[in-house]
Amino acid sequence: MTWAHVRRGLALAGLLVLLSLPFWVNAYILRIATGIFLWAGLACAWNIVGGYAGYISFGHSAFFGIGAYAAGILMGERFGLPFAGALVVGVAAAGVIAALIGWPTLRLRGAYFAIATWAFAEMVLQLANVLRITGGTAGLTLPPLLDERLFYFLMLGGAVLTYGLCFVLLERSRFGYRLKAIRDNEIAAETLGIDTTRVKLQAFVLSAAITAAFGAIYAYWITFINPTSVLAGDITDQMVVMALLGGLGHLWGPAIGAASMYLVNRLFWSLWGNTTAYIVVLGVVIALVVLFLPDGLVSLWPRTRRLQVLRALGPHPQQERPTVAEEQR
Amino acid sequence: MTLFIQTIANGLLLGGLYVALAIGFALAFGVLDVVDFAVGQWVMLGGFIGYFLWKWTGIDPFLLLPAVFVLFGGAGYLLAPLIMRVRTSRYARPELMVLAFTFGIALIMRGGALTAWGFNTRSISTGLGGVTLQGGGIALPGLRVAAFGFALAAVGLFFLILYRTRFGLAVRAVAQNKQSARLMGIDVERVSALVYALYAGLTGMVGVLMAAIYSVTPEVGVRYTLFAFFVVVLAGMGSIAGVLIAGFVLGVLEALTAVYVSGTLTFLVVFAVLYLSLILFPQGLARRGRS
Repeated sequence: MTWAHVRRGLALAGLLVLLSLPFWVNAYILRIATGIFLWAGLACAWNIVGGYAGYISFGHSAFFGIGAYAAGILMGERFGLPFAGALVVGVAAAGVIAALIGWPTLRLRGAYFAIATWAFAEMVLQLANVLRITGGTAGLTLPPLLDERLFYFLMLGGAVLTYGLCFVLLERSRFGYRLKAIRDNEIAAETLGIDTTRVKLQAFVLSAAITAAFGAIYAYWITFINPTSVLAGDITDQMVVMALLGGLGHLWGPAIGAASMYLVNRLFWSLWGNTTAYIVVLGVVIALVVLFLPDGLVSLWPRTRRLQVLRALGPHPQQERPTVAEEQR
Repeated sequence: MTLFIQTIANGLLLGGLYVALAIGFALAFGVLDVVDFAVGQWVMLGGFIGYFLWKWTGIDPFLLLPAVFVLFGGAGYLLAPLIMRVRTSRYARPELMVLAFTFGIALIMRGGALTAWGFNTRSISTGLGGVTLQGGGIALPGLRVAAFGFALAAVGLFFLILYRTRFGLAVRAVAQNKQSARLMGIDVERVSALVYALYAGLTGMVGVLMAAIYSVTPEVGVRYTLFAFFVVVLAGMGSIAGVLIAGFVLGVLEALTAVYVSGTLTFLVVFAVLYLSLILFPQGLARRGRS
């Protein structure tokens, strides 16, 4: 029996445990597991743009909210669509909006991109607050479906699909290499004949569509949404922290980060019944990871591929950086 | 017409505060090459510290401003080396890592304030609260005029330091070229830390003024981060002079939107203009890379 056999066996056993989980754990643990898959999927979606392309987006809450509101509006009394229909429309809407927003925004780099996406997300939040179709600050109620097992399988399926897709697209295809090339040196990538604008846009749309899909499932699961619950910056904050903690630009990093952060979140909730202290934890985790573990938790595993290695080929930080005007272009 | 003039006047008075809020931020960006997501949280903390100092000592908040400056300057001076460490690290993409880092600092500040002081609103009142200046058909609240005057004085002092002292010369040298500045014998780390301290102190003082004019809750920080970003983006990142104009533009834009469109849409408009100006004029309206 070789190591490959053992790994395959372990993976199969893990999958069996996950598939059978709803039938032998209580409802509380099942909800936590559902939440972990939700956040693992979201963090992975953010990682496509933030970790692989090297574009820090602070606007992903907008896409989560678009997915959630698509479900909320379309499944409401006015349209009465089934969930699957609403999900498809929500994902498509988020994809189209991401393409429209991404096309001009992805020309910006670094902090400018971060600020622009943040401004976009806040715009969507403010819009949802005043529009009538979104129910304003009062929010929307979805037809309730109290089947925790179904939602567990939906989130599990969503997460498995997301990670499968990311594995194929980002780790086993030219698309992934192109994205990483853009992250490591965009100008060099362009000289190699990569259509950087197109690749970045594809990554952004993919990331937004996945985020929206989880938003739609989340809305159906929670059955009540309002602007603060599905569009607030807290959602983006968590995605960033989870991807960063797990390991930027690493396939399994976001899953590890999401599982650990979500458990901490639930722990705070059960111990103190509030989550304001959790915001502090998010901040502390970001600061500590950036200072001491920039490759995230995955780098603790021996022989992990690190961004640091790629760095050695890049320009030395002490060298004069391009001016702001140059970076802009 | 009177309403229009009144609105413009209100906007300009607010604009002065936005200039004071953004000018330190713009300088910190120019010198440290760091976009500080915590800028609005400094304002929020300034409001709270000002409130508690005022409650504790009973001294008029305007007289407490120097104390707030010292406190926040000290905090900024202590935090700066960490930020510099991340910014100059050999790790991949330091400019993005430092963005995440200041974002984390902002979360710590906001979460800490929420945990310590809850969601309640607090407001500071000063001896100037009841005074109103009348003239030419418009009325200007004395508090806002005083805050405006103070902000302008602080900005003036800031410019004096920047353009009339040896320290200011060193600061401008570091902003232009770190390596050359180092070769000229400038202690880049110390200058950067002092600039960050100056920025934190100034921003903290603006927080006290904002808490006196409006009120303060732990959630207002995000709004001031937006305002600071708006001003520096419109001015062109790193352009100190552009901030003077952009700050007033923001004040007037906010006042006009609140009066002629709707108070609830103010943020939507400000965010939309911020987004559009980033897309359309990524180098700022002043069309200058850095000062």
